[in-house]
Amino acid sequence: MSTELRIGDQCLPSRLIMGTGKFADTATMIRSVEASGTGLVTVALRRFNRELVEDDLYGPLSELKTVQLMPNTSGAMDAKEAVRAALLSREISGSPFLKLEIHPNPHHLLPDPIETYEAARILVKEGFLVMPYVPADPVLCKRLEDIGCASVMPLGAPIGTGKGLTTQEMLRIIIRDSSIPVIVDAGLRSPAEAAAAMELGCDAVLVNSAVAAAEAPERMAEAFAMGVEAGRMAWEAGLMPTSEAAIASSPLTSFLAGRNE
Amino acid sequence: MNLLVNGETVEHSGEGDLLSLLTEVGANPKLCAVMVNGSVVPRETWADTALSENDEIEILVFASGG
Repeated sequence: MSTELRIGDQCLPSRLIMGTGKFADTATMIRSVEASGTGLVTVALRRFNRELVEDDLYGPLSELKTVQLMPNTSGAMDAKEAVRAALLSREISGSPFLKLEIHPNPHHLLPDPIETYEAARILVKEGFLVMPYVPADPVLCKRLEDIGCASVMPLGAPIGTGKGLTTQEMLRIIIRDSSIPVIVDAGLRSPAEAAAAMELGCDAVLVNSAVAAAEAPERMAEAFAMGVEAGRMAWEAGLMPTSEAAIASSPLTSFLAGRNE
Repeated sequence: MNLLVNGETVEHSGEGDLLSLLTEVGANPKLCAVMVNGSVVPRETWADTALSENDEIEILVFASGG
């Protein structure tokens, strides 16, 4: 087993964080969350609707005793709206975790770094463990660390695209420079990509679409858990150095030489 | 009294406080958060929060999301 993940003063049993969106139904989502072994799942806020009471997630999720909730600020167009969403979510769950996301452009859903920074500054003072979804920008990530964020969550690729670790070189710099957990959030499609992120030195990955849109979400959740665990163990074990020249792994003795004559 | 609840006009005939409105519209108080005229109202104060004509109330619950 790899070492446990610490975010602020909280310890989590898994380095896989799960989103709860896009599943065919709540039962499939719950089974997938359980199969993933995660200790942290995201939830969103929406308006109460009398017709959709059975769709409320808080009940079924709060029955999973080992899983904590990380409300997100999805739908917020600016810092002010994100702060409001965060305070409302805390009223329901009391959770210290907060996925801060502000992505006003529906075409690419890329995070607005300026509004995100402003909201983070306020929400850290409000006592949240602020975990901002951000572009893979090493300067921004360091600035967010400096103001007290509990982690940074740079994207691998735009939300829901499944394009994988397109930001790998920037992630390397972010990981090298960060003293807080670096969590790749968005864009992953396969457990191999999750393993690759962990081998780079990421502290965790957050996946949603890759599991929810798989043919068998429950199986894929388990596969991601294995990918994350394998990648983390590999990083902790230390990958061998690379070499331009071949280096033999068997003895190149000459006892076979000339015996064919 | 007429209130604007989640964007729709609701005629509230109850006690006139926030908690009784939640009961009236069928929201489970344990599962929701509430804003009145743009301000978050802490749940401890719902029973003591008097509503006024044309107040804008938002009742929010958790939904699935990534």
